[in-house]
Amino acid sequence: MEDLKNKIAIVGVGYTPQGKLPGRTAISFHTEAIRNALADAGIEKGDVDAMFLYRHFEALAGDYDVTAFTVAEQLGFRPSVIGQETYCTRGWLYNSVGLLRSGLCRYVVISYGDNARSGRRSFVKELSGGKATDDLAAFGDLSTMSKYAMQARRAMDTYGTGPEVWKEISIAQRQWACLNPQAAMYGKPLDDEAYYASAMVAEPLRLLDATPSSDGGRAIVLTTVERAKALGHPYAVIRGFGSANQPVSPFRLQVEDPESAAKLASRQAFRMAGITCRDVDACELYDCFTYTVEATLRDYGFFPREQVKEFLTRQRLGPGGELPVNTSGGMLSEGYFMGLTPVAEAVMQLTGRCGQRQLGVLPGTKEPEIIVCSDNGAVFQSHITLVLERGA
Amino acid sequence: MEFFEPRINADAAGFWEGCREHTLRFQRCRCCGHVRWPAAYLCPECLSSDTEMTQLPPEGVLYSYVVMHKPFHPSVADKVPYVVATVDLQDGVRILTNLVDCDPATLRCGDKVRIDFVDSETYSRPVARKKGEPV
Repeated sequence: MEDLKNKIAIVGVGYTPQGKLPGRTAISFHTEAIRNALADAGIEKGDVDAMFLYRHFEALAGDYDVTAFTVAEQLGFRPSVIGQETYCTRGWLYNSVGLLRSGLCRYVVISYGDNARSGRRSFVKELSGGKATDDLAAFGDLSTMSKYAMQARRAMDTYGTGPEVWKEISIAQRQWACLNPQAAMYGKPLDDEAYYASAMVAEPLRLLDATPSSDGGRAIVLTTVERAKALGHPYAVIRGFGSANQPVSPFRLQVEDPESAAKLASRQAFRMAGITCRDVDACELYDCFTYTVEATLRDYGFFPREQVKEFLTRQRLGPGGELPVNTSGGMLSEGYFMGLTPVAEAVMQLTGRCGQRQLGVLPGTKEPEIIVCSDNGAVFQSHITLVLERGA
Repeated sequence: MEFFEPRINADAAGFWEGCREHTLRFQRCRCCGHVRWPAAYLCPECLSSDTEMTQLPPEGVLYSYVVMHKPFHPSVADKVPYVVATVDLQDGVRILTNLVDCDPATLRCGDKVRIDFVDSETYSRPVARKKGEPV
């Protein structure tokens, strides 16, 4: 794996308008994000020979189904490899690295797009048309949130975490969002009182522990470091990466698992990059729920698990803190674009394009050399760790 | 108080038939002895499909639980708040169930529970009660 260190780069990021945008189709967010990512990378659509989309969702009322074929059709290109996740299996990274390193492909584009907010996507996959799709619905175990809450509760009783910790994560990310005009929660500061006043949904998790859905899209372009250099603009190098799965039913997950997907993926990524947690300047983490941030930092080894309360504070994670986490506001406070929310922000930070929230510009912060990203699929079942470094 | 009728397939039929008789029955591999849940055609340990059913005692330990406050479907609106729980049985088997007849504020992961069954017209669902709680 060592010979994969510093070989692949992320050279383009594509944004779209985001938030609540009624009237836009889901596919339009994919195509706009990809168009903008290609422009940002400085490449033509004909240069793209692989395209992977984040997971397929059922079309919302009045909209067409989004498939990899229709996205390619609307962009008028013919990548030789196209793919789309069914569930959140997070295969894009290894696919990209393999295709680029083998020389089979030159540029890979990864995209996410959805009209989840204006279409009111429910994220309850245990039911279809009011009928159970599996055994879980028989116990009223509806939603992704209940499965994360099950893990969060176990961590409360095992490691002493709880709402007082998740509140810190929520508030720190909101502070970052208030420095990001693109964020859904820009201009909407959050305090302790508002956090505790937030409705319990799947106790111990509240509404403010969950990522709100967004309309919008996001895309990135990957290529080899040789091609990245030739493009002649700043980029992010993948210094280390890892991927792992824990393919068990969510109710069988163990908070105490010594081989959780996050542990295995991060161990591999850190080893390849030759770094420890102390070398990390910032983290951009998949934060479907506040507890996901805690579990990821814990499993990556940023803090001893019994010290969760002392470690996870807004002072440490927020603007000016020693470990900036989710500097765009993250999915909790910026927008929900799955793994591309954290990855895009890491690339923007490393290429110095983050305005007033830019690390190294914002008082009390340092210019970032190394940023760690995570992408997490399903309920802690699929995990990618990226160690990104500033490219030159 | 029923939620949704489970989708019972060929692999899980033995478990649900057991529930109908108020017993906890799971598939056990005849080759390596591994007891598996969720139900599956073959053993995830040794990949043998030579399978028999085994009955486990209706006792376990609460791994974790969630109190559902938001009704994620209109038909559960009159059921919230309810408790979804995961319980570790003997032989490494963990099941998803509901904790009933308890004050959620008194629960703690690691509590000992007893499995009971609730009958509806077409199937029976295992539920858990904290040991020592009145029925």
